[in-house]
Amino acid sequence: MIKKQYLVVSILFIFLFTSCKETSAPIKITPDHLHTTIDKVVEIMIHDIFSPPVASRVFAYPAIAAYEIIAQNDTSYVSLKKQIKHFKGIPKANSEDQINYPLAAIIAHINISKKLIFSEEKLTKYRDSLYTVWQAKNEKEFNHSKAYGLQVAAAVTKWMNADNYAQTRTMPKFRVDANDESRWQPTPPSYMDGLEPNWNKIRTFVLDSAAQFKPVPPPKFSMNKNSAFYKEVKEVYDISNEISKKGDTSEEIAIAQFWDCNPYVSVNRGHLMFAVKKITPGAHWIGITKIAAKKDSANFNRTIYAYTKTAIAMADAFISCWDEKYRSNLVRPETVIKAYFNSEWKPILQTPPFPEYTSGHSVVSGAAATILTEIFGDNFSFDDNTEVAYGLPIRSFTSFNAAADEATISRMYGGIHYRSAVEIGVGQGRKIGGLVKKQLVLKK
Amino acid sequence: MNKYTCPFLVCIFLIIGCNKKAELLFKNPPSTKTGLTFKNTITETNALNILDYLYLYNGGGVALGDINNDGLVDIFLSGNQVKNKLYLNKGNLTFVDISEKANIKGNSSWNTGAVMGDVNGDGLLDIYVCAVVGINGFYGYNELYINNGDATFTEKAQEYKLDFDSYSSSAAFIDYDLDGDLDIYLLNHAIHTQESFGKANLRNKRNYQTGDKLLRNDGKTFTDVSESAGIFGGINGYGLGISVADFNKDGYPDMYVGNDFHEDDYYYINNKNGTFSEQLKEHFSHTSRFSMGNDVSDINQDGLPDLISLDMLPEDEVVLKTSQGDDNFQIQKMKTQKFGYHYQYTRNMLFVNQQDAGYLETALLSGVAATDWSWSSLFADFNQDGKQDLFISNGITKRPNDLDFINFASSEQIQKKIDKTKLVDQEALEMMPSGKMQNYIFKGAENLSFENKSNDWLTDKKTVSGATAMADLDNDGDLDLVVNNSNEEVGLYINQTNKKASYLKLKFNHTAPNTFGIGTKVYAYNNGKFQFKELYTVRGFQASSEPIIHFGFGLETAIDSVKIIWPNKTTQTLKKVVLNQQLTIKPENTKPFNEASLKGTSKKIFTAVKGQLGINFTHEEDNYTDFNRQKLIPYQVSDQGPAIAVGDLNNDGKEDLFFGGSKFKKSKVFFQTDSLYVEKKIEVLAKEAKKEDVVALIADFNNNAKNDLLIGTGGADFYNKSTPLLDTYFTQDSTGFTKQELPEYFENAAVLKAFDYDNDGDLDIFAGNNAVSNDFGATPNSYLLQNNNGVFSILENQPFQNIGMITDAVWEDYNGDGFTDLILVGEWMAPKFFKNTKGTFTEENKVASNLKGLWQQIMPFDIDNDGDTDYLLGNWGLNSKFKASESFPLRMYYADFDDNGSTETIVCNAKNGQYYPIVSFDEMAGQIISLKKKFTSYKSFAGKTIEEIFDKKTLKKARILEVHNLASGYLKNDNNTFVFIPFKNELQISPITTLLKHDFDGDSKQEILAAGNYFGVSPYHGRFDSFPGAIIYNEKSTELGNKIGLDFHQKAVKKLTIITLNGTQYLLATINNDAAQVYKIKK
Repeated sequence: MIKKQYLVVSILFIFLFTSCKETSAPIKITPDHLHTTIDKVVEIMIHDIFSPPVASRVFAYPAIAAYEIIAQNDTSYVSLKKQIKHFKGIPKANSEDQINYPLAAIIAHINISKKLIFSEEKLTKYRDSLYTVWQAKNEKEFNHSKAYGLQVAAAVTKWMNADNYAQTRTMPKFRVDANDESRWQPTPPSYMDGLEPNWNKIRTFVLDSAAQFKPVPPPKFSMNKNSAFYKEVKEVYDISNEISKKGDTSEEIAIAQFWDCNPYVSVNRGHLMFAVKKITPGAHWIGITKIAAKKDSANFNRTIYAYTKTAIAMADAFISCWDEKYRSNLVRPETVIKAYFNSEWKPILQTPPFPEYTSGHSVVSGAAATILTEIFGDNFSFDDNTEVAYGLPIRSFTSFNAAADEATISRMYGGIHYRSAVEIGVGQGRKIGGLVKKQLVLKK
Repeated sequence: MNKYTCPFLVCIFLIIGCNKKAELLFKNPPSTKTGLTFKNTITETNALNILDYLYLYNGGGVALGDINNDGLVDIFLSGNQVKNKLYLNKGNLTFVDISEKANIKGNSSWNTGAVMGDVNGDGLLDIYVCAVVGINGFYGYNELYINNGDATFTEKAQEYKLDFDSYSSSAAFIDYDLDGDLDIYLLNHAIHTQESFGKANLRNKRNYQTGDKLLRNDGKTFTDVSESAGIFGGINGYGLGISVADFNKDGYPDMYVGNDFHEDDYYYINNKNGTFSEQLKEHFSHTSRFSMGNDVSDINQDGLPDLISLDMLPEDEVVLKTSQGDDNFQIQKMKTQKFGYHYQYTRNMLFVNQQDAGYLETALLSGVAATDWSWSSLFADFNQDGKQDLFISNGITKRPNDLDFINFASSEQIQKKIDKTKLVDQEALEMMPSGKMQNYIFKGAENLSFENKSNDWLTDKKTVSGATAMADLDNDGDLDLVVNNSNEEVGLYINQTNKKASYLKLKFNHTAPNTFGIGTKVYAYNNGKFQFKELYTVRGFQASSEPIIHFGFGLETAIDSVKIIWPNKTTQTLKKVVLNQQLTIKPENTKPFNEASLKGTSKKIFTAVKGQLGINFTHEEDNYTDFNRQKLIPYQVSDQGPAIAVGDLNNDGKEDLFFGGSKFKKSKVFFQTDSLYVEKKIEVLAKEAKKEDVVALIADFNNNAKNDLLIGTGGADFYNKSTPLLDTYFTQDSTGFTKQELPEYFENAAVLKAFDYDNDGDLDIFAGNNAVSNDFGATPNSYLLQNNNGVFSILENQPFQNIGMITDAVWEDYNGDGFTDLILVGEWMAPKFFKNTKGTFTEENKVASNLKGLWQQIMPFDIDNDGDTDYLLGNWGLNSKFKASESFPLRMYYADFDDNGSTETIVCNAKNGQYYPIVSFDEMAGQIISLKKKFTSYKSFAGKTIEEIFDKKTLKKARILEVHNLASGYLKNDNNTFVFIPFKNELQISPITTLLKHDFDGDSKQEILAAGNYFGVSPYHGRFDSFPGAIIYNEKSTELGNKIGLDFHQKAVKKLTIITLNGTQYLLATINNDAAQVYKIKK
């Protein structure tokens, strides 16, 4: 009996001892926590079918919340308060609380991401598995950090919800006018409606307005053989013929497919229609950000800094690009080539469902590459394995700008853009990147 | 047994007895008894699945006929991959498999339709079996089994030049050139994917594999005459259905071909010279989209063959909301206007033949529109009550149009495999839901109606049922069915009508080579009524039925007469025919027959006026689409024009015409001269082109002896307080027209009705408004404009100021107190009566409050000739996806559901007592994004009621608008109380948007002319476009517009007006987005 009592006491003692030991240990948050979280969000966005502009918004707001939290605690980073539109900053943490800032940052990130994606249960499951580990590790630190993370998330959400996204849902659809040859028309095979025709009404982050870097208008529609427009159409057609001759293994096809980044490619086979879903252009550059941060061995704070600034530049890039798309409403090569050159013609990539000018991928690549170059330096070579999950090989680049240039030209190889859209587009993106780089001071 | 047990058992017995269903009309004897063990087993392999061949699940064929002339109908079944089988009928519903000996097992690797006909004219039924050859490694050719007369067959396709190695679905026998032998229409299907629609004119370029063929019987061989006969044979012809009938009753057989996917169906009218003219667009206002099988029968006993064409609209709410639906409005516009296709909608279509005029399409009204994934339709009088019933087979092994599969399941499985392997493995295919279904059967009823009897008449077993054929297999007089099922034994449906009702079966012993008399017409007369049938055996889908004509006659024992019209247009008549027997008839004592003699002697009241009396006005809609902005509204507001007003505008005593234009289109004025109307430009009017004119009024408002002009503005595009929404007022003096001030109001106008309600000697106006731009569902204000010396001011606080979405108004002293009262009608409201007491209006409850409708028009008219005034009311009609009743009204929830500052409307139908939104999940979640979080799959949304979709709090803030009644009809005046009586179904085909009272036929009594049609609905609803208008003589008597000379088929008639030129009265029909029509009125 006595023996048994001793046993109980000793077990109790051991238990107390171990739990004391555990509560005292801080929860360690690594950059990988951030990468994994973002990967998870990307995965859900693919499932939920987010369009490129809407996806760019999903990258920006959670990152900003996380960044703001670490900026509270790391004097080498500056809050975005008053640097981005209508953002009044976040509440300060209670100094008596035991806050793990990176932990709070991850928690805020997940919380806002959950508000933005559709399939919440997938993210909840991921979150809860992390919570269980953290709670077991250090309950007090976890609880305090969680409370703060959620408090910040609430503040950022309030600001986020005033960005006009909800209002744009009820705004008019794109008006199709099949009799206007120059005007964009829905394209095969799904003939989807023009995507996000009111995206320019979304609040910008750094740009003073959606039209701040309004590009020059595209060449005027004309099928006169001497017109600039005709020549550009002809060029797309010629390139596609040339590539087709070279066959499926050509470098151009590899490039086009690598940068396709179309979140919803409809496939018709037989009676069956299904979607092949991929990441968006924004997600591709978020993937490159991860590769760069890892190669750079960036710590948690530097990693979140890189994600945040890149995401902001890309979000503004989409607003700027979409502003132009639904200003010029230019017809896609597929529509013109089928009408004038070859009714059987099909582009190598599926034409995405929005007007042609300027190229979204070019604008966003220009913007993202400018920011990544600012953070990680020029001539930063990297192996891009972002598309491996989608059955595509790794491609290596000597710099972010080189990658952006390839992404740009890939749209012509893919047969979905004319030259003006990609060349002027990438310039538009670099201007946006330049502005974000100059105007947003994140690093002291 | 104790004394309690007995009553207890009785109770149980009673309960069981009560619950026991009445006996089914069809019983299904098991194969252990019948010997029919054929099973069309589809073996999917990695090299052959629905990804590689789109019609993998279409099933085999079935052909019924007495192959050995022993008086018993035998059964031939073709299998896709399994061998064909021939079962000899041994009587008592037992069958023996003679396939081996009969030599018909087949050599093609993928067989499709199978049909019987006497190809060589020897009096024996031969069998033609179609095949798909040349894709997926399929080999072989279409096989022709010539009957040797001893229950064996010899395959002779090559000899007859019928050995096509193409993608055949089926074939039909037709003696199109009336040379006495059977020609063949070969129905082929494309495999061309939807990858690119291509333009409609692809059909002009013939393609051997996919193109249909017309094959002329030249005695020993068949010759492909498709090209010269005008038969389309393009790469886009997905031929799945073929019906032959003399549709226009000119003595020559015509054809209707149903094409799947985007290709139009074809309607081939026989030119009587060996060629056909394809006239689909002229005669059909729209068709089924994924057309499958079709069938022909005279359903309304007018002697004209009517037609059903099947599609795949699900009835079940869950299947409906998880399946891909119709195109959106814009894409349909592109396909019809840019690519050259006709209007096609995903539902069964029932076409009621009007001979030379366009068909009425009544499937929704008739109750046969939604039978899910449907293959074969067969009309017959299964219960022998004298009305044609309708059997529909359906089901699909897997549903490839399941939205979750398309968007979620497929991608995650397929994504990584698609580029690397050609194959998508079975696992992905398994994720498609099964589409096994109970077959449908409908009982034919009066008034173009059918009653769903599936549960009472058929087994509830779920099957994948395709090709179906009819015959009297047990020689008991009623028609039995044989259904070729996929992956299941062949279905035998034995009709139990037996002796409960009378029948007459006619078999023809016709002159060779058309020994079975294909194309023979029969009229069976009794008691002043008749039934009409035409003998074509290839019916439904991939099948042919027993070559007989079968009639049902209820409890009669004999009928007055039977008139036979042979294919060579001779006739003979049998008098006093005793029923319940099979007669074999051969041509005897025939007389020449003239088809035209059957044409009714219709009195054409209207004749189109060549040159239109100079009124060459064509209304052109602007490019605004309401659904681009207000994406969930049930119908458009922007298409209510044009305005039309009649009155003297140049003070010459002759009535001129004012036509309003749509947004940015100028209005037009036509002055009446001595012999015709001449367009005249009036600058000051043209300046207002920005406005969309929907209603106009010419009258002298300022009492200066010159007419003024008042125009009501709509268009729904401009919004808030935009000045182009203001109504317009021009007065006229000796210097011409001057624009005058009107009170400012910005609602979309519907009606302007002038009347001096206050007896001060000038005309006041009721200005009724229909909608608030950008805020559909909100109640617009309507106004009483009081006239003070030609200046109008709003008389505030009228009881009708905010009463509803007004469409029409009438000033009428309905209570006979000497003061003219005001009656209003509108949408989502009941007719409203306002009593005028010396200039003060008070609402009176003259009709039940549950008479809310989508009322379009009101017209006072003594329809029952009892001396008091009844009110005719145009409504939405019953041929609609909207459903409304007193107990379960149609509902529209109106609120800012997502709190983003703009309102949405969600229209819900009740199904089984629960309310479900009509729009799809994508349409709804596209507007109300939070739904995407609540429902992360289509399945999770499908079958959810409006209460389950939104929480209580959200729904509570919604205003609910209701409609109890969609039928057009009249308020019958019985001692100044009004009871609503609906018109008959012929007048419920489309919304009735205009009613005109006039003595049209010169009998000194007034009649009412009604017209309508409306196109401003989403493709899910389809266009309301097949109503030809109608004249209403009285309560009992109406006649459709095409019979009295009107041409309103496919026209959205907005207004009917009488105009008078040189003392002659004409009818002017103003049409939305089309040319105005002028008719001379014959008196």
